[in-house]
Amino acid sequence: MAEPVDPAQYVPRAAALLGLPLTPEDRDNVIGAFAVLARVAGVVMAFPLPEEIVAAAAFTPDDGSAP
Amino acid sequence: MSIRACALAGAVRAGEHSAVEVVQKTLAAIAAGNGAINAFTAVTEKRALAEAAAVDAARASGRDPGPLAGVPFAVKNLYDIAGLATIAGSRIDRDRAPAARDAALVRRLVGAGAVLVGALNMDEYAFGFSTENSHYGATRNPHDPTRIAGGSSGGSAAAVAASLVPLALGSDTNGSIRVPAALCGVFGLRPTYGRLSRAGLRLFAASIDVGGPFGRSVEDLAIAYDALQGPDRDDPACAARDPEPTLPELRRGLDGIRLAVAGGYFESQGTPEVFAAVERVSSALGVSQRVALPAAGVARAAAMIVTSVEGAELHLPDLIARAAEFDPKTRARFLAGALAPGVWYAHAQRFRRWYCKELTALFRTVDVILAPATPYPAFPIGQAVMEVGGQKLPAAGHLGVYTQPLSFAGLPVVAAPIAGIGPLPLGVQIVAAPWREDLALRVAAAAEAIGAVASPSPTKLHDAR
Repeated sequence: MAEPVDPAQYVPRAAALLGLPLTPEDRDNVIGAFAVLARVAGVVMAFPLPEEIVAAAAFTPDDGSAP
Repeated sequence: MSIRACALAGAVRAGEHSAVEVVQKTLAAIAAGNGAINAFTAVTEKRALAEAAAVDAARASGRDPGPLAGVPFAVKNLYDIAGLATIAGSRIDRDRAPAARDAALVRRLVGAGAVLVGALNMDEYAFGFSTENSHYGATRNPHDPTRIAGGSSGGSAAAVAASLVPLALGSDTNGSIRVPAALCGVFGLRPTYGRLSRAGLRLFAASIDVGGPFGRSVEDLAIAYDALQGPDRDDPACAARDPEPTLPELRRGLDGIRLAVAGGYFESQGTPEVFAAVERVSSALGVSQRVALPAAGVARAAAMIVTSVEGAELHLPDLIARAAEFDPKTRARFLAGALAPGVWYAHAQRFRRWYCKELTALFRTVDVILAPATPYPAFPIGQAVMEVGGQKLPAAGHLGVYTQPLSFAGLPVVAAPIAGIGPLPLGVQIVAAPWREDLALRVAAAAEAIGAVASPSPTKLHDAR
């Protein structure tokens, strides 16, 4: 599966949207780290899942402290 | 004096040593030995002596001083210790207010008579496998101080391996107990997700994180684990299960336990010495069956996405306000995780459900699975790249190749040091179905009884001690 985004294009824009300041030095390192993450995500996204598989959430509709 | 928790507790309970005497010797050992390995970031001398005196007073007055009476222990510095800032390997968190109370697991060990002697080094916010911490220095491997201890609970494994403490606590998201245990030649237990309370732990990736113990024997792991169990409403992920003690069943042997070796994925991407070492253990246990874990490589990838996103979200305010204060070893990876599209995370979490269903089916045919803990032994501090089978890999990042697919399913795993190899330790993962820590510990105890796994004593630290 192709990488869903081009890290060099995506990282500065997404960081700006989040208000995440990137120094020039960080910028290159983050693009590199994001490229790794995007390759890893490619492995995950290429794995087809039936719609009926739902995430194994531990969510309980209270503050989590009920017995 | 013994370096084993069970033996020490027995001696204190029998009045052969006082707890104060044990703790004084431990504090002296830390003062003499920590410089060579850089495992401790804080020593809690005053409270340790007070806790030890309380244990001695309990015994003197005829009260039960607890199953871990007088046993010194230390914790990864992401565990809350009352009166200290919980730094989690970071510089940023030195600014936090001191913890008001101990983490739940610290309280449970102290309640069982154990004595807290300090806090231990780790990768910043647990995001690493090597404990090469830029703020507090690298923790060194007691078996070769030029090499890494593994991580992220590197201080915990190294302190136990160097006999500075008989017990330590760490945490494991993707392998942070099992990797350093293997590389330092000690036993480590990653319990089932949700088994132990994480209240008072600085979390990393809350949907995967667990706490767990390190020790020099299976019995020591079991006695500590039994004291740590029990529900806790302060951690929403902690299951409402009563303690299921493992120590009484530890010596029941292998009868009725179906064993197999993890094949396929778990027989690739490592060095030949690792596979030969696991083979030593499986041969000694008479295991010939091989099983394949479905989509293990996808599980590792999904674990990396979930970890990166949950970790980044937790630290987002600091990433925005003071990114420069993060460790250069973690900064770019945390920042990258903050930028991950949400669909990656949602798909990874849905994959996790599919994967757990598949593993549930697998554990109907087998009870315990053996797998390597790491793809190679400890590498020299500072090494960035490792070549395996002609492929250049990130030396620290690849350490989790065999641990990540197992923790992503929330499975309980004992990491046990393989006997008869060397000079550098290697570990085997002993993996059971969810909530069956008892089986993993029983197999580890059986392997220990026949000499297939054992915690070696370091030989290169004599000058420092």
